[in-house]
Amino acid sequence: MSYAYLFKYIIIGDTGVGKSCLLLQFTDKRFQPVHDLTIGVEFGARMITIDGKQIKLQIWDTAGQESFRSITRSYYRGAAGALLVYDITRRDTFNHLTSWLEDARQHASSNMAIMLIGNKSDLEARRDVKREEGEAFAREHGLIFMETSAKTASNVEEAFINTAKEIYQKIQDGVFDINNEANGIKIGPQHSPTSGLPASSPGGNQGGGCC
Amino acid sequence: MNRTDSQGSTAVMSDISSHSFKDNNKTSFWKKTAKTVPGSIKPVYGAQHPPLHEKPTSGGNSPRKDSKMQQPLQKQRDAFEAFAEKTSDAWDDADDDLILMANVKMSLKDVHSTAMQVMHDHSEQLARREASPGSPKDQHRTYNTDRHHMTVSSTPGHGCGCRPGGPGVGVRLKGQWVGSRSSPSNIIGNGSPNDQLSSKCEKFKTMLESANIDLDDVKTMSWSGIPGQYRPTAWKILSGYLPPSLDRRQPTLERKRQEYYNFVEQYFDTRLQEVHKETFRQIHIDVPRMSPLIALFQQDKVQEIFERILYIWAIRHPASGYVQGINDLVTPFFVVFLTEYITDDAELDMYEVSNLSEAAVRMLEADCFWCFSKLLDGIQDNYTFAQPGIQLKVNALKDLVSRIDNSLHSHLMEHHIEYLQFAFRWMNNLLMREMPLRCIIRLWDTYLAETDGFATFHLYVCASFLTRHSYDLQREKDFQGLMMLIQNLPTHHWTDNEIGLLLAEAYKLKFMFADAPKHLVHKK
Repeated sequence: MSYAYLFKYIIIGDTGVGKSCLLLQFTDKRFQPVHDLTIGVEFGARMITIDGKQIKLQIWDTAGQESFRSITRSYYRGAAGALLVYDITRRDTFNHLTSWLEDARQHASSNMAIMLIGNKSDLEARRDVKREEGEAFAREHGLIFMETSAKTASNVEEAFINTAKEIYQKIQDGVFDINNEANGIKIGPQHSPTSGLPASSPGGNQGGGCC
Repeated sequence: MNRTDSQGSTAVMSDISSHSFKDNNKTSFWKKTAKTVPGSIKPVYGAQHPPLHEKPTSGGNSPRKDSKMQQPLQKQRDAFEAFAEKTSDAWDDADDDLILMANVKMSLKDVHSTAMQVMHDHSEQLARREASPGSPKDQHRTYNTDRHHMTVSSTPGHGCGCRPGGPGVGVRLKGQWVGSRSSPSNIIGNGSPNDQLSSKCEKFKTMLESANIDLDDVKTMSWSGIPGQYRPTAWKILSGYLPPSLDRRQPTLERKRQEYYNFVEQYFDTRLQEVHKETFRQIHIDVPRMSPLIALFQQDKVQEIFERILYIWAIRHPASGYVQGINDLVTPFFVVFLTEYITDDAELDMYEVSNLSEAAVRMLEADCFWCFSKLLDGIQDNYTFAQPGIQLKVNALKDLVSRIDNSLHSHLMEHHIEYLQFAFRWMNNLLMREMPLRCIIRLWDTYLAETDGFATFHLYVCASFLTRHSYDLQREKDFQGLMMLIQNLPTHHWTDNEIGLLLAEAYKLKFMFADAPKHLVHKK
């Protein structure tokens, strides 16, 4: 299927915060209350539309357990966007954000767009991390922030799509070198002529500054 | 309950003897260290505590680094060696029956002739199946069509090729498991009874009831599948948990079961201690998430058993600790050993374990623990820091596939599919996420009968598993399609027949490569 851009994402965060459930809700629009453990990495994909352009998202969902870090770290490189997820009902998952962020900063492209997600917003009664704390952390580290519920689907679309918008904006601003696939962005075969780029050469075009 | 149907037409392979030509020397490596007290608590950190060699800048990477030692070492290899030296845990335990099992040799001629026989039988079998309608091959095609159909209909508008189960949903959530009230045979096998089978049952009965049996005979007989009612005993013997000699079995069982409960008494309370809290918490949140759609595993009683088994194992093996995925490896033992206590036609995957007597549950739990431990003894390097065993095996798989199916290998390379992306899970969970539990149980009959089955032979099975889907994979023309298919290869309909074919192919590969070990040596 033709697309204007392909963005690669990675989903990271502590084990049990709902990473796989977010992905399943986003790709399949359903919730699985008990989700089997993710081993290593798992792959998912979906097409979205931004600014009238088809954008293909390819998403690596990673295992949260520390044991798998040596495997999952290699997926940071080559990702244009990251969803960094914590569980609003478990403070330790929030406390670990700094180390996840350091991991990302160390192993990912410096331009990677990072969306901070406080998941399980449906469990208000068991909330352990205030919304304001999430917002403050995001502000301090230059991240986008949302609270989501993979169960009710609240903000799930928005989380994935807003991350894509951020990446798209960075492309417009010329921040990303879109000819370098290591940045997690690929130009599709159906690129709109208005962007001033050749229409059908996924890898081979020049003049990445499309704005 | 009809347990006799658990092995189906794989009986054609009943003559296979299947022992490794050469013994691996891994055992001796792990035995080198002087005898230490198993489970002695020393500051040793496993796969979940990696920062031994980390640079100061990355010191903050680990959410769980707080209490861990922060001794910077220069190179990863050095770090691992240093770490291995410091490690003393149950793997150094010299009291290990497994060593006794490791010395099986066969003449090349025997192996060759049986291999040829297997190949011959299987090509005939395959030909017969292809000639008959509704064969697995047909089903396979149909399923593929279905899959694509379901794909399209389940994801209108985004055309992403998402599988019906969605990402992260393994094969166990599909097909028969979904809402099924499956019969015991659904879990432990679904071949159909036949004459060959009943004669096999007779042989097993005679063998297991005779006073002194040869372990090699048990292996030879078991390789091609074990009838359900003899599987618990056969597995225990093949695992090295039970001695082959009949009169030593009961005393051994009693001793080992008591030993396990001594461990529980000694160690289980440590889960509340600060240093071990995290390990237990991880197990505690993982156990309810395993096999979510099999009712059996959702029972509190069952989950408590799994928690104890996993925690006791983890605490006694600090070199790896608890690594996600090993929880899956308890399930085949649990399901198989449970059948020993169920006499009626109860549905195994719905069975209410709280109906069992307390004594039965205790025996079941201890037996699972020991067999699970024996299994992990053979693949320990899969779960130590940075999981070197898995890395090596994935590389070996890549080398092997490039030799046996180069067009598939080139296809994967051309579309930038890395073996680690899909085969990591194959190694970490021993294919348990890739096929239904009933097939895994049949597969383990052979793994247990093979010397080094869960390590080396598994590699050949993985190669056989991948190349079996070569045609479908090569029809996928982009990364996304390939990745979606390869992490969800259609096996939900598989029975013992498919496993038999898979094993025959794996056996052939082992035969081809065992004399040329360099083919499998990973190039550094």
